[in-house]
Amino acid sequence: MRLNPDHFWTYSEWLFEKNALRDGAILSVTLALLGFIIGYIVSVFKYGPSEGFLRVSQIIGQLFTVDLPKLSFRRIYAMAKLAVKESIRKKILVLIGIFIVAMMFAGWYLDPDADSPARLYLVFVLTATNYLVILLGLFISCFSIPADIKSRTIYTITTKPVRPLELFLGRVLGFTAIGTLVLATMGLLSYVFVVRGLDHNHELVSMDPTEKSGESSYNNRHRHTFTLNSEGRGTTNEVKGHRHIVTKVGDKVVIGSPIDDLTARIPIYAKSLEFTGRDGEKNEGYNVGYMSEYQKYIEGDSLSRAVWRFEGVQPTLFRDVILYDLTISAFRTYKGDIVTPVGGLIHFRSTDGKVKSEDEPFKVKEFQVDRRSVRTKLKGFKQDATGKDIATDLDFFQDIAPNGSFEVVVRCQDRGQYLGMAAADIYLRPADLQFWWNFVKGYISIWLQMFIVICFGVMFSTFLSGPVAIIATVAALVLGFFGFFVDNLVTTTSKGGGPIESLIRLPTQMGSQIEMELGNETLQNAIASADRGILLAVSQLKNAVPNFSQLDTSNFVAYGYNLFGGLLARHLTIAFGYFVLTALVSYFFLKTREMAA
Amino acid sequence: MATSLDQENRPLAHDSDPTQTIVETRNLGKVYRDFWGRKKVQALKSLDLEVRRGEIFGLLGPNGSGKSTTIKLMLGLLFPTQGRVFVFGKEATDVSKNERIGYLPEESYLYKFLNAEETLDFYGRLFDIPADVRRQRIESLIKMVKLEHARRRQLKEYSKGMTRRIGLAQALINEPEFLVLDEPTTGLDPLGTRDMKDLILRLRDEGKTILMCSHQLADVQDVCDRVAILHQGELKELGRVDSLLKIQDLTEIHASGLTDEAKNQIREIIEKSGGKLDRMDNPTTTMEDLFLEIVKESEQRPGRRGGRGGN
Repeated sequence: MRLNPDHFWTYSEWLFEKNALRDGAILSVTLALLGFIIGYIVSVFKYGPSEGFLRVSQIIGQLFTVDLPKLSFRRIYAMAKLAVKESIRKKILVLIGIFIVAMMFAGWYLDPDADSPARLYLVFVLTATNYLVILLGLFISCFSIPADIKSRTIYTITTKPVRPLELFLGRVLGFTAIGTLVLATMGLLSYVFVVRGLDHNHELVSMDPTEKSGESSYNNRHRHTFTLNSEGRGTTNEVKGHRHIVTKVGDKVVIGSPIDDLTARIPIYAKSLEFTGRDGEKNEGYNVGYMSEYQKYIEGDSLSRAVWRFEGVQPTLFRDVILYDLTISAFRTYKGDIVTPVGGLIHFRSTDGKVKSEDEPFKVKEFQVDRRSVRTKLKGFKQDATGKDIATDLDFFQDIAPNGSFEVVVRCQDRGQYLGMAAADIYLRPADLQFWWNFVKGYISIWLQMFIVICFGVMFSTFLSGPVAIIATVAALVLGFFGFFVDNLVTTTSKGGGPIESLIRLPTQMGSQIEMELGNETLQNAIASADRGILLAVSQLKNAVPNFSQLDTSNFVAYGYNLFGGLLARHLTIAFGYFVLTALVSYFFLKTREMAA
Repeated sequence: MATSLDQENRPLAHDSDPTQTIVETRNLGKVYRDFWGRKKVQALKSLDLEVRRGEIFGLLGPNGSGKSTTIKLMLGLLFPTQGRVFVFGKEATDVSKNERIGYLPEESYLYKFLNAEETLDFYGRLFDIPADVRRQRIESLIKMVKLEHARRRQLKEYSKGMTRRIGLAQALINEPEFLVLDEPTTGLDPLGTRDMKDLILRLRDEGKTILMCSHQLADVQDVCDRVAILHQGELKELGRVDSLLKIQDLTEIHASGLTDEAKNQIREIIEKSGGKLDRMDNPTTTMEDLFLEIVKESEQRPGRRGGRGGN
């Protein structure tokens, strides 16, 4: 899992500096204007210019003067309750049964040899739940109002003092309630499935004569080794993403349940990452080509360094040990000894560079998180007045980071090899969040996606028939999931041009690498302009639907990172924004729709 | 000559006595169009009528005559393409008017998965009725429509007659001033029809105004004070039921206590025979005869008939 810079934005930064509020406002105003213009054009045809204007204005005016102030919670509740009953009658709860069956057989297919079974289990349950509840939201929301119109039960609703917004809110609330029930049940079942599926025990197989280290039995396709301290306590080595606590009670050695497999790390990230080149001068880090665009590289056995700068780290968060995770990749320019990983050195230093810890060697663990630690009492060097390093004992927070700021320096040891890193590739782990709470947060994320789907489904069903509403909602979902693709099409000059140009290139077998030659420049320009117009329209449309790939935070849970509160708050805000937007669109359509037509 | 626009914008009839007119339509028309805006059918043409407080008003007409369209326009389920319709002095599209209306749709379009109590509770909540009042009304309405034995059964298990009765109960949950009943006696057995008619009359006596449309002409004749007869979207006849059914050029005499001789000489001696003249009146036709006559005439000569019903 890779954390992008936007994951670190605080809520206010996102809202104001990154223009989320502005973009939301622009989208709302554009939709409102568009709604007004289309409504007016339709009204002009029906009632003429002045009467048409009056009617459209009336609809907008009534929203604020009557329809909003006179909203009744009792009516909304009645309709929500009805929606719940309707869903239960449609045997929606069977979905939970399907999920249980899926989990019963999942154990057969989840690869027992996987490096990280916890991640595999979590990705499975989160993805399965996500897709199932989104499908659930889609089907229950799109068919309800059209079914009422078809069976004419809507006559008995709209002839009561029911406001258009209440019709929308009742449905959304009811379907969300039933979705929440299904999701909560699935979440609970998933939690039990994951925890029980990962739980296992090992027996002691052998102990060395000094009774300090030993080996566990081979269970669940792996075994551990461990070392005990003088008090008879210790942990096993990490295999398949977990360890076990080992304690010696009397003559007996007890290997406990797995730990560290279900975690929710709360990382403290560096504020910045800087590089120096092989000559010791600052640079952007080496680019090793298409290998990785995310990480930049330092060269081995040279003055090339990567320096992360941490700020404001509270000493109270740590006791004797500072835990940190390192995710560094290697790029080999020659094969060399392929069994031995590329090595590096790491040390901590004060921001003025006058105090630093001893270099600690490490070997790159490709595609794994290297869980490391440094003691707060450590050996290092202090510069004297002449600038010479004097070896001494150091206290991390007194000597290296007196005001909470310090730097981490990494260099590569092997000549001709490169180490790659990004800003998020090192972080401190002051404490872990309770896993179950992170798990819940992951499910809140899924809930938000379901909620948005329900809002869109109900909105489309206010003016489309059931099947068409489903297609429209799926289109919105697809546009949302592949928003980045649309962005790429619009923002970068992708090869092969826009849709019209592609339509010409395909039958004429004109490769995307060559310029399109039609022998008519005016025609070519016209096609290019039309393509730009289409792409721009699609991109605007894309902005009107939520970016579901961004809302999906299951990787945070699966990879054991705390799902940032700020990120969740952002997603909550986005969901609320779309709720308001779909409510307004639904209001407009319900208000202008002839229910008996 | 007044234009149709002038007619639409003239003061409301109830402006002079706002308490007396419940519904007023002015030059009301409805054209159904297809997706492309092409005219499909003119369902209603320039309808002008009033429903007055405290009366039972009948809307009659063969299938496709515009009865249902008129009711849907009054309830705001359709929007007029011409003219206007006011209910309690408000535009029919105004949701707040619904607080004082009860509506029994043609086929009791209710949620089949709810039982009687849940149905009434649901519609009661839509009127924002507080829980205790709701409970009380549900009790009395279930008793009134005689569904005590089936109150916990889902509506999908109900017979046609039971469905009509629960439909009527939901229309009364808000104690409406104005009741719109679409074919209230359809599907009821003779006993049920009698009960329904008695109930309609009782509700009228309680001060409610009732608009009903029906194919059961005998029912209309029995309960309605005034009727409007529509055919092909046009108003053909409007007036009091008793006036409409009166045959003007015939005289009917009901007499008793006459001798056989007197009977034989009835034409000459009726005034001097000394017998007791019980009733001397115009005979009436049945609603069915009138209805068939109007439809036949309308097909031969389109347009409004010369009125005789006395508004």
